[in-house]
Amino acid sequence: MATVWRSQRAFARFFVGKTARILNNASDLGAKLTTASISVSSKQNYSNYAHSPFVKNIKEQYEFEIVKNPPEWAYVERLMPFETIPNVTPKAAYPSGWIPPKEEARNLPYFIARTRNHQLPIYLDLSYRGMRKISMIKKIDGDIWLLNDLIKEHLKKTQNRYVETRVHELGRFIEVKGDFVTTLCNWAYAQGF
Amino acid sequence: MGSRQITEKSLVMLRSLPRLSLANIRDNPGSKHYPKRGRGQHSGDKHGAGNKGSGQRQNYMRLGYETGNNPFYLRMPHEPYYRGHHHRREYPPISLLEIQKLIDTNRIDITKPIDIASIVKSGLYRFFPDQKHFGINLTDEGVDLFATKINIEVQWASELVIAAIEKNGGVITTAYYDPHSLFLLKNPKKFFETGQAIPRRMIPPPDVIEYYTSAEKRGYLADPEKISQERLRLSQKYGYELPKLETDQYFNMLCERKDPRQIFYGLEPGWVVNLKDKCILKPRDEELLQFYAS
Repeated sequence: MATVWRSQRAFARFFVGKTARILNNASDLGAKLTTASISVSSKQNYSNYAHSPFVKNIKEQYEFEIVKNPPEWAYVERLMPFETIPNVTPKAAYPSGWIPPKEEARNLPYFIARTRNHQLPIYLDLSYRGMRKISMIKKIDGDIWLLNDLIKEHLKKTQNRYVETRVHELGRFIEVKGDFVTTLCNWAYAQGF
Repeated sequence: MGSRQITEKSLVMLRSLPRLSLANIRDNPGSKHYPKRGRGQHSGDKHGAGNKGSGQRQNYMRLGYETGNNPFYLRMPHEPYYRGHHHRREYPPISLLEIQKLIDTNRIDITKPIDIASIVKSGLYRFFPDQKHFGINLTDEGVDLFATKINIEVQWASELVIAAIEKNGGVITTAYYDPHSLFLLKNPKKFFETGQAIPRRMIPPPDVIEYYTSAEKRGYLADPEKISQERLRLSQKYGYELPKLETDQYFNMLCERKDPRQIFYGLEPGWVVNLKDKCILKPRDEELLQFYAS
């Protein structure tokens, strides 16, 4: 009993007048605690080493040669992203099957504009788990009703059956019931769009 | 009271009443039904929970548990076909047709060597190094209509694709990039703006060392002598005449390759590119030069 009592007193002697300064979960209870050691200096959590603030007045450790207008700058410029989508320069042949729009197409009473990526805006819209197939011709202009009639006539000729279409005048697109994207693209290329 | 009077009376009432608004509407009486726990002899009893078992005790069993039977999902032994699939390297494909289309629409400059940086720069190839994407798999779709002389560097290619490129007088190399350098290749501008030195490219992991050192795959670590032998062998296999590189007008461009430690064409590891002042910082320190050369 006496030993226990003595050890308790010995333990308590450490904390005389210091109880307010003891941190929670402090492992070194007997150690000398000063205000400087308790305070935490960093206020921000840096997620990346590169984002942490610069260390100032540091001696230059390594020697670097600074080359202005170096000949290698062409290699850097080649890596820079396009500011705008590049225009297509006229070529002798386009092996991929892509066809540039023709100037004559502007004289037609109707018009199908190219997308910003120089492609035809003709898409296949699949819905109801691929059961409903609708070919969409977007970005149409001019006499869209005449365009609709011509598309209907062309599809009737090629498919040997009546094909349903729908014109959305405000949204400026024509929907064709069924998957006729290839046929419609070929027709549009032939027209010069 | 006739119906006419009722109409008139209601119209008069409507005129005197305030306007209908969100402040003075409420639900129709009886439109909402709140569940009640029945009390008494007949409404009480089991309270709709049934007699004994899961219903009463509400011990909803875990999915697949069959109340003590050997469950169906454990009856068959485990066959780990797809074990570790989420750690495997992925090579998102791009076909020769797509490459040809990019060339036709001026997205790729064929007067310069093509690598991941120039294909990602076209904006039409989805590439995410953080999702275990390790580069480009060049596939053979459109192999018959491909007709351009290019110097291309990809990460994976089949024999047919190699034959198609070489038939048109081009050159193909397969090269490995570690994920860190792929991030730089995806967005070089972003990296240069951080002001860090270009790191070294790491060597391939052990399971692909064989691929990238083999001449048949046109690996970037293969012996150039063996590669030229393989070029001839492949042309004989597919039956085309191998165009001569030495007499080509773009011979210098077709010969341009990266060092196994290099990430960008023409830029060495250790250099710092300053986009704002248009200058390059090259290390002169012996220690740094030795580090980046190793």
